[in-house]
Amino acid sequence: MSERLSNDAVVERAIASLRRQAALAEVFFRESSSTSVEVKDGAIENVLVHGERGIGIRVIDSQRVGFAFTSDLSAGGIEECVSAAQAMSAVTEPDPDLRIASGVTDRAELAIHEPIGDRTVEERADAAFAAERAARALDPRVVGFRKTSFFDGETTTILATTSGMHGSYSESWCGLSTSVIASEGEERQIGYHGHASRRHAEIDPEAIGRYAAGVAVGKLGARSMATQRIPVVLEPYEAMSLLGAISPLFSAENVLKGKSLFAGKVGEAVASGRVTIVDDARRPGGLRSAPFDGEGTTTRRQTLVSAGELRGYLTSLKTAAKVGGEPTGNARRGSYSGPSRIGPSNLYVEAGTEDAAAMVRGLERALRITSLLNLHTIDPISGEFSLGAAGDYLERGERQYAVQGITIAGNLLGLLSSISGVGSDLTFGGGGIGSPTLVISELSVGGT
Amino acid sequence: MQLTLDDGKIEEAITGVDQGTGLRIQIGDRQNFANANVADADDLMTLAGRAAASVAEGTETHVFTPLRPDTLPRPHDVLIDPRTVPISRKVALLRLANDVARRHDPRVHQVTVYYSESIQEVVVANSDGRYRTDTRIRTNFALIVVAKQDGVLESGFEAVRGTRGFETMTEEAITECARTAARRAVQNVAAQPAPAGTYTVVLSSEAGGTLIHESVGHGLEADLNLKGMSVYSGKIGQQVASPLITVIDDGTDPGQRGTSAMDDEGAQTQRTVLIENGVLRTYMSDRKHARKLGIPESGNGRRQSFRHLPVCRMTNTMIAPGESDPADILASVEDGIFVRKMGGGQVDVVSGNFAFEVTESYRIRDGRLAEPLRGATLVGQGPKLMSEIDMVGWDLGYSTGTCGKDGQGAPVADAQPTLRIPSVVIGGKVQA
Repeated sequence: MSERLSNDAVVERAIASLRRQAALAEVFFRESSSTSVEVKDGAIENVLVHGERGIGIRVIDSQRVGFAFTSDLSAGGIEECVSAAQAMSAVTEPDPDLRIASGVTDRAELAIHEPIGDRTVEERADAAFAAERAARALDPRVVGFRKTSFFDGETTTILATTSGMHGSYSESWCGLSTSVIASEGEERQIGYHGHASRRHAEIDPEAIGRYAAGVAVGKLGARSMATQRIPVVLEPYEAMSLLGAISPLFSAENVLKGKSLFAGKVGEAVASGRVTIVDDARRPGGLRSAPFDGEGTTTRRQTLVSAGELRGYLTSLKTAAKVGGEPTGNARRGSYSGPSRIGPSNLYVEAGTEDAAAMVRGLERALRITSLLNLHTIDPISGEFSLGAAGDYLERGERQYAVQGITIAGNLLGLLSSISGVGSDLTFGGGGIGSPTLVISELSVGGT
Repeated sequence: MQLTLDDGKIEEAITGVDQGTGLRIQIGDRQNFANANVADADDLMTLAGRAAASVAEGTETHVFTPLRPDTLPRPHDVLIDPRTVPISRKVALLRLANDVARRHDPRVHQVTVYYSESIQEVVVANSDGRYRTDTRIRTNFALIVVAKQDGVLESGFEAVRGTRGFETMTEEAITECARTAARRAVQNVAAQPAPAGTYTVVLSSEAGGTLIHESVGHGLEADLNLKGMSVYSGKIGQQVASPLITVIDDGTDPGQRGTSAMDDEGAQTQRTVLIENGVLRTYMSDRKHARKLGIPESGNGRRQSFRHLPVCRMTNTMIAPGESDPADILASVEDGIFVRKMGGGQVDVVSGNFAFEVTESYRIRDGRLAEPLRGATLVGQGPKLMSEIDMVGWDLGYSTGTCGKDGQGAPVADAQPTLRIPSVVIGGKVQA
């Protein structure tokens, strides 16, 4: 049997070994544990307990970068990982802008860790059952569930470099999601909703159950609509999906490689004057808040679009060296097993001043989107999108009938510039992205 | 291992090991599952303790059957283990693809090339005495080419990938892959935006099988049928598609991306006829759902890794070839849309509504291909579409992808012949 090294010992050993090879290097350690309890129709179906522990090592040798990861945290496993990262660095080509962090990070109070303690399987299941009960109580046409799960977890991250950066933080999360099935006659429809938070008290199972049930029931009796151009209402959760699709445009990596429509547009209008977009890794309790990013850069709050004007990009150490300016701390790490990628933290559209319901009542006719299919196929390079959609046809805010089997299509840049209304109802979703209700002045709808 | 060439340079080289165990305890209908990175027997015992922690006192004990190791036939041989090929050879192929794509057309603006190889060692042991192992060697070569014209950017994608060794990574195959990705990007940047509305559509066999995967495949997975959640629930023996349609899932198809000797519960993979001449025959199942539905275990209990529970899902799924000449199918359409390549898709299995992306398409005028189109999506309802297909070609084309379900990804392949759909909604930006 091998001796189990502590988290700090793993990182120290890796750094010591890397120093012996005189390389510039970074060690990223992550230990994570999580539980999810999945229920269906009042019974526990699955209890999943997940654990992971590993390191990812990035070596910069002669301006060449190599990366290796391992879950074998024995002394021998760490040594092999160091050698593998070194070997990989011989394969890549030199880049004079490659960097590792050397600064010290501040002790930010981000309110991202609430210890889970001894929460039982039954307590977790009860939250899921409460969501199911609330969904059923909303409407008799709610006939069942595909799955309802409560999940929570805790993670410890340590990052250290051979040039002296050393930081660590712990975080936690919990959440609940459900997929509700509604039926009338032969027709069946599904409605999904989920929410996550750093704090257990902020999860409201009943509200989540009712929301999902509302979506499912609302789709019953849906029909197609004629091909046309029409104003579109995106409620916060659908708007978040599209904001997520826009986020790669802010990546300095994409900008430098000519893969972003925002390249060369800093200082220019890229969105309607009503739109301000912020990336805030320091948002207290934010699901993507962290004191430092996946390379050890101290994080910050950054306004990316101010009243429609592009202000800047999201950068890593390397891309900041290329575009100039301080790194923004957006080198994100999904896991120890992959290098960092530029991405947003808590990205959101700032709240407007208009009451969302009044804004929608002001539209003669509109399509309100309640679900989108195929979001993963939006091409951030061209910005083109064409998605399957379901929703409601509205006149002066009043629902006339439910719609499905249609498409909405456009370009992400066109979408940003045609935002004609921004509600005051800023909401943050389970992915850390936030948006108020948005009105798009016109989109192309494909139907009968 | 993964190598990335971007912006003309070998920019990333990654390697690593992820090793662990998932332990599942079945108590009636409830599953307790614990997983972790496991290096030795001590780790494994700790994990077993966590898996058992929430099992109530007094639960009926199960006597383990002694393990009976057996060996399953391999679906195909791996001729060249990619680990034996020097990295310099792989780097040379990345450069070759980059050069071919950049030389293709002056409008080629950016090229990203990926090569990856993965070796997945799987051991399955269960309390019924099953003990089986499988090694899945997969190679993947892919390009994203970006073309630029008049400020418009468009990308083109193509890949060579399968459960194969390095023998598929020939210079010819890589050159062809790079040309196709570059041609698609350049064509799209100059193409007309697709119209929106209802059209007759011909789906080329080259388009690959996203249609069958999304519109029908997911609806035939047993877990969704157990509680009547699929549009296909309770319909075994019934006509659910046009008599021209036969749908097969085949986890044994040699070298395909979804192929393996066994699934991730140790069940041998097989060729399963799901829909035969329009009649629903069976569902794709894992152990749990096969038992509950009273159907045979079909080798479709797949997992992304030891971190995941098995889910019922597809391997290599196809619509079987029919009897029409593909040229006749095209010639039969006066005004319509020809889909030559499909991208990703998604389905809502409860309502059957699906959408998929079209990455290369043309207008059909008087039975011939006319101008190229870009930015199209096709939407419909699975069973309705399958009952309306009125011509099925005698050809067959494959495409590869990674299917997402319940938060897990799995490598799959899909295939179909050339098909004619009389009337389907196309989503583009332009009003017809």
